[in-house]
Amino acid sequence: MYPFGKGKARLIPYLYLSIPLLLYVVFGFGPSLVTILFSFTDATGVRGQEWSFIGFENYKTFFGASNAGDRMDAIGRSLYFAFAVVIIQNAVGLFIAILINKKLRGDKLYRAVFFLPVVLGVTVSGLIWQLVANPLGGPAQSFLKFFGTSSNFFGDYNIAFELIIFVQIWMYMGYSMTIFLAGLQSIPSDLYEAGYMDGASGWKAFTNITFPMIAPAFTVNMLLSIIGALQTFDIIYVLTGGKFNTTTLAFDVYATAFGTGTADYGLASAVAMIQFLFVFTISMVALFYLRRREVEA
Amino acid sequence: MKKMTLAIVLVTALLCVLAACSNSSSESEGTQATDSSKKVTLKIIHWQQENINNYIKEFNTKFEAKYPDVKVEYTTVPADATYDQLMQTRMNAGSNGDVDILPLKSSFVGAPQEWSSGAADPMWKQWIDAGLISDLSDQSFIKNYNEADVQNAMTYNDKVYGVNMGKVAFTGLFYNKELFAKYNLEIPTTWDELQHVIKVFKDNGVEALGLAGKDVWPIGLAVQGLQASIHEDQLAYIKGLWTGETKLTDPVQLEVLQKSQDLMNNAMPGFMGIDYGTLPSLFATGKVAMIADGTWDATTIQTANPDLKFGYFPIPGSNDAAKNKNLAGKYDMTWMVVDNSPNKDYAMKWLDMLSEKENYTEFVNAAGFLPTQPDVEMTSEFIQGIQPYLEGFKLSWDQLFINRQNVGQYISEASVHAEMLKPAGPIATPEELAGKSQADWDAAAPK
Repeated sequence: MYPFGKGKARLIPYLYLSIPLLLYVVFGFGPSLVTILFSFTDATGVRGQEWSFIGFENYKTFFGASNAGDRMDAIGRSLYFAFAVVIIQNAVGLFIAILINKKLRGDKLYRAVFFLPVVLGVTVSGLIWQLVANPLGGPAQSFLKFFGTSSNFFGDYNIAFELIIFVQIWMYMGYSMTIFLAGLQSIPSDLYEAGYMDGASGWKAFTNITFPMIAPAFTVNMLLSIIGALQTFDIIYVLTGGKFNTTTLAFDVYATAFGTGTADYGLASAVAMIQFLFVFTISMVALFYLRRREVEA
Repeated sequence: MKKMTLAIVLVTALLCVLAACSNSSSESEGTQATDSSKKVTLKIIHWQQENINNYIKEFNTKFEAKYPDVKVEYTTVPADATYDQLMQTRMNAGSNGDVDILPLKSSFVGAPQEWSSGAADPMWKQWIDAGLISDLSDQSFIKNYNEADVQNAMTYNDKVYGVNMGKVAFTGLFYNKELFAKYNLEIPTTWDELQHVIKVFKDNGVEALGLAGKDVWPIGLAVQGLQASIHEDQLAYIKGLWTGETKLTDPVQLEVLQKSQDLMNNAMPGFMGIDYGTLPSLFATGKVAMIADGTWDATTIQTANPDLKFGYFPIPGSNDAAKNKNLAGKYDMTWMVVDNSPNKDYAMKWLDMLSEKENYTEFVNAAGFLPTQPDVEMTSEFIQGIQPYLEGFKLSWDQLFINRQNVGQYISEASVHAEMLKPAGPIATPEELAGKSQADWDAAAPK
């Protein structure tokens, strides 16, 4: 009835909660509101310079200016990136989780190894793969040389983007694995015993017991990887800087705000808003289908 | 009640942590901070370039010795977009900004001209127009500089807003003198002679040409060298693009792209994976005979291998040697003072002291710049060696070019995108790239 006690004391939890709330409003929610406001202005980001409301002009620029084609390419690349990352990262993550869940000898070591890239962070991971793909005597180049071929890796228009996708998956498959592993370990073993009695083992046990039981973990993983992939900017910045046709919508936000040598915060805010709506819409649709699948299962 | 107090303490502590974060992000140099509360802190931001940073740090110590109540806070970040961001964020912080002195990477270039209607204002112009930059016209130290250079590099709207520290050339190739001597090669003065040099090196199994393709812009240095020697008059051509009299598909531009493609075809394998920081060391260790780089990297090469004998010559883009005999480049580093800074007086004193003949001479020699003050003695053998190419110094393409707003990727930014051609990029022929560039340019025409 009185979970936090009576009298003034029950206000204490709210007081504690008000600290993060305040920080969130000041540093998170406030700037987001200002971004919405800015996206309808011609604000330049130069202190003391006047700005005015110009309606949907920035949005028209995004969809209608002469470089809109490049922006559509960037959106296409975002979708391609998200699709590839979500499918492969979760498939690999689930596969590893199932193997580790078999209680093999040294499973703790395997866990650590696969989770390591998550701990390293983007810059270190980027640096590692830059070194591996160093065209002057890097191990990847030596490997290709053995087969009589060579590559420019992150400096190659044809494969730079695919390599970034690969690094992204390498970085976060351990993350997916951990969540799947938690889901797998919550399945009571008597379910499998009962299933075995009914003749369900191997693949059948997986499709009929394991997969339905980890539906919540599956939902979490899918959503996190969709949102994460659509927002990816850092690893692109570290590996190619958006060159060689590797610009995505999220990278475009950065490039518009800081990359052009002229300040145009209005347009950059509009791009950020479009990025937000893009991620929001796709993740809401995904959530709807994933939740429905969970209930049916 | 005790818990209340705890909460308040927590909030205060958190806010302090946040405040501390914003302070600790800037690296400070100079004297101890013990009695800094009484001192004026002069904030200077800069990009990272070792030889120049070292000199400025030394100079700051001298400055602090002369003005004991000043502490200089000198912050440096990477020279790429990181520095542009730092300028933006520092200028925008609070009503006084969070910086007193800041340098531009070039001089005042890129302002829209009467023939370029609808072009975007560069950042420096937005700042000056908003009244954020001090007018230096009446400062006595401006008189130390060449009148022509003050006019060309430090003046905007008939007022002096910056102090330019010197010129750099970047349309040439560094060459290894010993390798040239070994194969009896002369400095090439025409395109055909350059082809000969490349062929001799290749026949003898020596890598002829190094390019830093991974960062793209260093390829642009070579391309700008070709433009400077192939075009009769780059500015006229650029004006023509705006008025429609010239096209990016003109034969002269196709020649530039064709020769850029030739250079890339002759560059060392894997050049698209080599970043700019690696290039000087490849050259300094003798792994490649020539590299496309700016004169400012001479000190870097010298440091990497003090025994190396090397020189610099303009890329001979033309077969008419007379058109190849000059280097092109830009005015580098232009210091500006933030106008409503509370430390404006000291900022002026700092620039005044840096502009003194003795200090300026030390600076240009450390930086490897070509001086904008008269009668400066250059001790660098390297600068003396390139002196003949500097008599007819030209401004490079990226200093003259004014771009249209919202142009597509084939003509975006300040350089021609030869890197999109094979073997670096996906486009097979110069004609195809030129056509796409012109289409992007036309599509962005002001309506």
